[in-house]
Amino acid sequence: MKDTLLRIFTWWNGATIGTLWHTRRNGEFVGEDEFGNRYYRTKGGKVDPALGVVRRWVIYNGEAEASKIPPGWYGWMHHKFDEPPQSEGYVPREWEKPHRPNPTGTAGAYRPKGSILNADTRREATGDYQAWTPGS
Amino acid sequence: MAKIIVDGTEIDVPAEFTLLQACEAAGAEVPRFCFHERLSIAGNCRMCLVEVKGGPPKPTASCAMSVRDLRPGPNGEPPVVLTTSPMVKKAREGVMEFLLINHPLDCPICDQGGECDLQDQAMAYGVDTSRFAENKRAVEDKYIGPLVKTQMNRCIQCTRCVRFTTEVAGIAELGAIGRGEDMEITTYLEKAMSSEMQGNVIDLCPVGALTSKPYAFKARPWELSKTESVDVMDALGSAIRVDARGREVMRILPRLNEAVNEEWISDKTRFIWDGLRSQRLDRPYIREKGKLRPASWGEAFAAIAARVKAAKPEGIGAIAGDLASVEEMFALKLLMEGLGSKNIDGRQDGTVLHPKFGRASYLFNATVQGIEDADVILLVGSNPRKEASVLNARIRKRWRAGGLTVARIGEPADLTYAVTDLGAGPETLAELASGKHSFAATIAKAKRPLVIVGQGALTRADGLAVFALAAKVASSAAEPAEGWNGLSVLHTAAARVGALDLGLVPGEGGLDAKAMAAGGVEVLFLMGADEIEVGPGPFVVYQGTHGDKGAHRADVILPGAAYTEKSGLYVNTEGRVQLGNRAGFPPGEAREDWAILRALSDVLGRKLPFDSLSDLRKGLFAAHPHMAGIDAIAAGSAVDAAALAKAGGAIDKAPFRDAIGDLYLTNPIARASAVMADCSAIASGRVPAAAE
Repeated sequence: MKDTLLRIFTWWNGATIGTLWHTRRNGEFVGEDEFGNRYYRTKGGKVDPALGVVRRWVIYNGEAEASKIPPGWYGWMHHKFDEPPQSEGYVPREWEKPHRPNPTGTAGAYRPKGSILNADTRREATGDYQAWTPGS
Repeated sequence: MAKIIVDGTEIDVPAEFTLLQACEAAGAEVPRFCFHERLSIAGNCRMCLVEVKGGPPKPTASCAMSVRDLRPGPNGEPPVVLTTSPMVKKAREGVMEFLLINHPLDCPICDQGGECDLQDQAMAYGVDTSRFAENKRAVEDKYIGPLVKTQMNRCIQCTRCVRFTTEVAGIAELGAIGRGEDMEITTYLEKAMSSEMQGNVIDLCPVGALTSKPYAFKARPWELSKTESVDVMDALGSAIRVDARGREVMRILPRLNEAVNEEWISDKTRFIWDGLRSQRLDRPYIREKGKLRPASWGEAFAAIAARVKAAKPEGIGAIAGDLASVEEMFALKLLMEGLGSKNIDGRQDGTVLHPKFGRASYLFNATVQGIEDADVILLVGSNPRKEASVLNARIRKRWRAGGLTVARIGEPADLTYAVTDLGAGPETLAELASGKHSFAATIAKAKRPLVIVGQGALTRADGLAVFALAAKVASSAAEPAEGWNGLSVLHTAAARVGALDLGLVPGEGGLDAKAMAAGGVEVLFLMGADEIEVGPGPFVVYQGTHGDKGAHRADVILPGAAYTEKSGLYVNTEGRVQLGNRAGFPPGEAREDWAILRALSDVLGRKLPFDSLSDLRKGLFAAHPHMAGIDAIAAGSAVDAAALAKAGGAIDKAPFRDAIGDLYLTNPIARASAVMADCSAIASGRVPAAAE
């Protein structure tokens, strides 16, 4: 029930009702990535007259966050290549690390040195002094 | 006097005035970069152009043309100078445009930003756009030492730094090579400047080409709180401005004081601030089982009280250090009087000066400004370049004006001016005093002979005899100028004259600093006294700011306030009482020194009669009225040369030694400073002075 309400009233939890309807009527499932995001294109690879190319879209697994799309599917989404990664034999380079969505706004976000959100102690900063300790 | 009309106002100015000075006298503002009141005139920035009628028919550099160069009008009208005419406005805009052609637009990352002459004057006199589309010139940054950072792209070739180092500092180490667009300021071989006043080029530089290296990118001028204070690094008491952010001193700048430092300060004064934040004592310590442990104030006071109560009054002693202010020394004296002890000394270096010979017997009687009137200077066991660099610059200024003979008895050293070496020790001085020496005739002929007696001559066993001879020499002029007292003592410690004024010398039967440190007392109170080696035996209470010699020897440590952290009076070597102000608070649990003594006195059952600094000052001014005359010199009673000679005794043959070994490491703050350590290493040749 909560899921349905969220789908009706928000756009960032999975797809909206409109998108789901559109996907059901015109979409053709292409594939799914390791995060569970599902990729679609227009049925039969019909060229969208408004775009001039085939329309491709994604329905996110969970929150709609563009950085969740891994590099292989990113290339397909942006028409860098026509075939989806798995059918094209897409192999990540050996130096590529596993894809991580952008952690901004989450607990995994980067905190600069000296940020008060850091768990460890603050680096010495202005206003500090170095106290003498016996024996030094 | 000559008449001149500046912007329609007719004024009378001395004929030797430059047009720039005349314009300023008339209240007109003239922008300038290269002109500086205390340096020779270069006339190369062209920013001070004015329109002159009665002179050449083109804009004239007002700094380089004097009023007497101008012709009067056909009917004898005074010459006319215009500083606001369209021609002048256009000329300034043109000059500014030319200056900015090769000046980078990096104000946001420039340390001079916010206090930059070029920035200000470009706003006031420049144009808002640039017509220059070509490449700017690029100049390599030079290494000129650990204190001054260079960004030579920004240089506008005003040559103030070159003129300062050659004229005031007396080192011809900075110069310009190349010409036109290719002119560069350099130390030629990229070696560190050897002047102990080089920091002043940072202030002189009108742009950000020369900036402070230790202060680089630390703060912006508008976020600093500025406190006017007094320097304690030497006995001169230069006027300084302490710029602090929060409780942290970010930099120290000179303040104008014609009578003392003009507008220069030494590098030690300027770059000492990083010592104020390291090795600080921020809590009391008590020595237990041979080890110091942190303690509370109450515990520390209780430990002191237990030892003081167990000791006889004559078994208690106190030594005041070199950086102490008058207030805390006064409080210390009252406390020792309350405890019934006569063992008190403010002369840890062992100088023989004593207030019983009169106030004039320990002052720089000729006054610093008086150096400019002297016609013969005799240095006795003194190296003013080390002991008071800014005072040395004043002697050099006098020497450059001509007609000055400088002679020295003591260690030879380069003082940046010509010095005749008469001899090495007291024997030469004795010859001079008896008139046998050939130089005696020069002094006898002099109108204002100045005899500067350094601590190198006074900390010896025969110091009094030497001083008596020096007094005799100083008074040996046949026809001295009226009111001239040339016998001048150059002190090395900011606190010394104050201590002597207060009478911080052992009373009848009391022990002096040396005897106390050797173990003559049971409880020894060191108030910032770090330059004295305390032997085993006494229970040492050290009150100070830094973990230095005194703290290592101490049995109880009481953390005090450094000179930027308290308001206090200091008396400089000429006897001028000056007020230092507080720029920030002492770190941790440290307290102002007078307050520590007041609290301690309560625990010892000898409560001091004041509860606030103003109460303390009231008591101080009542006991020593001349301390109330801030920035004034109370004339001392004349030296009784006969009494001195009687007290003096025989002289020793040993030559005089300079009082200061390493200029950059003379006090606990300096020894805690990394910048001073760098300077010391370069000055002593331990690290190469040139960039690799």
